Amino acid sequence: MNLPLSLLFGFAVLLMLLLAWVLRDPRELEQPDADLGNAEDLDQRHVTYFPQVRQAMAAEDSTFLSSRASQVLARRVQRERRKIALAYLACLRGDFLKLWRLARVIASMAPQVGAAQELERLQLGLAFSWRYEMIRVKFLLGFAPLPELGSLSAVVSRLSIRLDTAMKDLGERTALTTKLASSLDGRGLNTP
Amino acid sequence: MGTLPLYILVLWACSALLQLITLILLFAKGSFRKLPFFTVYVALNLCQVAFLVFVYSVWGADSETGKTLAWYSECVTLLAQALATTEILKVTLRPYQGIWGLAWRALAFTSTLVVLIVALATHGAWDKAKWFELNRGYHLTFAAAVIACLLLFRYYAVQVAAAYKMILGGFCLYSCTEILIHTVLQSLGKKWFDAYEPIWQSSTMLSFIVVLFIWVAALWKPLPIEARQAAPPSDSVYQRLSPEINERLRELNEKLLRLWKLEALPQ
Repeated sequence: MNLPLSLLFGFAVLLMLLLAWVLRDPRELEQPDADLGNAEDLDQRHVTYFPQVRQAMAAEDSTFLSSRASQVLARRVQRERRKIALAYLACLRGDFLKLWRLARVIASMAPQVGAAQELERLQLGLAFSWRYEMIRVKFLLGFAPLPELGSLSAVVSRLSIRLDTAMKDLGERTALTTKLASSLDGRGLNTP
Repeated sequence: MGTLPLYILVLWACSALLQLITLILLFAKGSFRKLPFFTVYVALNLCQVAFLVFVYSVWGADSETGKTLAWYSECVTLLAQALATTEILKVTLRPYQGIWGLAWRALAFTSTLVVLIVALATHGAWDKAKWFELNRGYHLTFAAAVIACLLLFRYYAVQVAAAYKMILGGFCLYSCTEILIHTVLQSLGKKWFDAYEPIWQSSTMLSFIVVLFIWVAALWKPLPIEARQAAPPSDSVYQRLSPEINERLRELNEKLLRLWKLEALPQ
């Protein structure tokens, strides 16, 4: 098989695989409205626990512990703290993904969608996932850059508050539309 | 007709029977009102069977005239296939005006790209097998465009009714198998389009029969009733929020990058 034919064959196999993936029943495929329903939880996100995490990971605490306690105990505490940071980072990613999904819900409901905006968001999501994985690996290797993790949380927090307001706005509009539609139905104005 | 092997005639009859069942189901369940182009496509396929029986009876299956007429009839059904698919995509995306706007642009972009790739990959083979290359090029473009749309559906969590998914999946499956069969047979030898024609015919017909079974299953029940379309939120919500969200996401990414770079520095 020469190169063009091999490429065509590979492309067809890729299409088959993509088709299988795209058509499989996506249990994780969320209902768009479900996110709207959870909008009220936005302000109770993991970012609110950052002060506690920061305290647990503070360098001063580690120095103090190393000077007073045994090496074994200090190492064990360090390990536990790293676990906490990793769990926190994972939660942060969950928050990001939820917010990212909410942005897609807004787009799916919009009468006009900007291709550039959507492409940019897709790109940002992919970049986030890549960087997140890289940072997670670094954390696993034993680094703990807490101040930067803090600023990361602040961004998510700001975004969540802003989206909370937007979701409430959208919810009110949807409720108003439904109310209007049902009142028209009730008066026999429903058209087939 | 006598020049076609018996097993191909049997497959042909099976395919015609299944097409007839599909058409009956479309009318019996009232689905033809929702999918008029798909109904026309199935009807055209049945007409094509009758047309080919006539053509091969008059000119024979091996004659140039017979083959050319058969390929012309294929062009008509392929055009109907494209229209039927667009119809299903449009029905699915009716409540999502913005996404539909994005989807047709994705369709146009993907199709153009694939046409260019196909033209580049096969430019030397046109004199030998023009119709085969055109057919494969069409199926490549078609499958890539529909899969791009399905990916878009998944990305935006657009709920697609199982019946529509099965019909679209059937179209794509058929196109993908056509590409694979063409490519595998072509790689077997220089005179592939003459020597392996019966294999090509039987394998493509078999894959189409599988697709017809999928469609019969999809159309067994009436198509889902569309939910009343709620008035979409005003355009300003998206216009206002989308850039802001992107800005925040970008900021978040920059923080992540800084975190990464900070970690990379020696402690």
